[in-house]
Amino acid sequence: MFSSLSNIRIAGVAVSTGSVTRDFIADGLALDLARTQLERISQTVGLKERKVTAPGITALDLCEDAARRLLDEMGIDASAIDAVIFVTQTPDHSQPNNSSLLHGRLGLCKSTAAFDLAMGCSGWVYGLHQAALLCAHGGAARVLLCAGDTLSRLTNPLDRATDPLFGDAGSAALIEKTGHAPAMHFNLEADGSGAKSICVPAGGARLPATPLTKQEIKDAEGNIHHAENLQMNGSDVFNFTLREVPGSVASVLKMAGWTPMQADALILHQANRFMVSTIGKKCGFAPEKTPMDSVEKFGNQSSASIPCTLIHALGAPLQEKTLKVVACGYGVGLSWGSVALELGPLVVAPLQSFPKL
Amino acid sequence: MSKSETELWAALQADVDGLTGPGITPETPLETLPQWDSLAILLVITHFEYVHGRVLSGNKIRACKIGRELLQLIPR
Repeated sequence: MFSSLSNIRIAGVAVSTGSVTRDFIADGLALDLARTQLERISQTVGLKERKVTAPGITALDLCEDAARRLLDEMGIDASAIDAVIFVTQTPDHSQPNNSSLLHGRLGLCKSTAAFDLAMGCSGWVYGLHQAALLCAHGGAARVLLCAGDTLSRLTNPLDRATDPLFGDAGSAALIEKTGHAPAMHFNLEADGSGAKSICVPAGGARLPATPLTKQEIKDAEGNIHHAENLQMNGSDVFNFTLREVPGSVASVLKMAGWTPMQADALILHQANRFMVSTIGKKCGFAPEKTPMDSVEKFGNQSSASIPCTLIHALGAPLQEKTLKVVACGYGVGLSWGSVALELGPLVVAPLQSFPKL
Repeated sequence: MSKSETELWAALQADVDGLTGPGITPETPLETLPQWDSLAILLVITHFEYVHGRVLSGNKIRACKIGRELLQLIPR
């Protein structure tokens, strides 16, 4: 679905990460894996460190911290927010949703709308589109977009195909209606036929959690997981991104009238360095325009990875000037979404962990 | 092995570390290679995509028993 929305801007962004650092090599050695093999994977895929949450901390806590720091930094009172959107696949409860809980925690007005989007790695772009729609056509002047997950809680420590990949983070962005901003150009797509490629089979209404769904099995590659764990077919997901993301990025570039040379940055969902590097090259972007360092420091942060990379790689220039940015999220669903937008100057709250160390 | 196959095999080995090592030929059973793993599969997918313009599924690659079967997936 193509969509162009004018006179909206991202006014500020903040990200709070998990506070516990996990080291890929050290974790692998603790499982008696060979150092040479771990180093080979680390160098090729770019798995080094990731930040996960301390016990008891959820995506709601991370996003609340990011939202409070952003509003403080911007000097905006919570009463000025017309809607809050919470993008997550790891909510505190099945009911009520995280946006309602955040609404209460921040003391938002009764006139402030609140709803969740149950999306993963493509979710920030989808959420940005919803926020922009509310500003463009829904009567909102300011929308708080929160996106975050604690996927490290869903993986099995003995599943080396998933567990070393994920970090935890929560983001907040303030989207505003303005009189003079160039259009944001979106392309949002999905392919439900690939839904099983990234899946937590049990724990929902279709297959409720029982002692049986906690029984661990060993798959063909020796990874151990149970039905309540996040499971991923890595090669299927890699093929999907190679097949779909370059065309998606090209489509929003065309809508904006830019070439990869004219754009300042391509911010890809930070699945892992190998994937970002491979896709960035296929999209026609120079490596220096495709940040890929944040995944080595924070891990795959699901829907928070794009805002985290914006701050980590472009935080300083974005506070000073306008950049032509293309962002693309892709993952569970399968779903993917791209946006081309002129971004900045904007308020950037410092990237920090929660609790702050 | 024809010369073209030699070149194709060398190019594949250059991109896929799991296929390199002393004495490894296109006839070597892939399951005997210590680094024939999920990472090697991703590297094969990337090689085929960039060098041959063909997207291969992981299952198709896993079904190959020896390197020569991988070479036979190259579009002619």
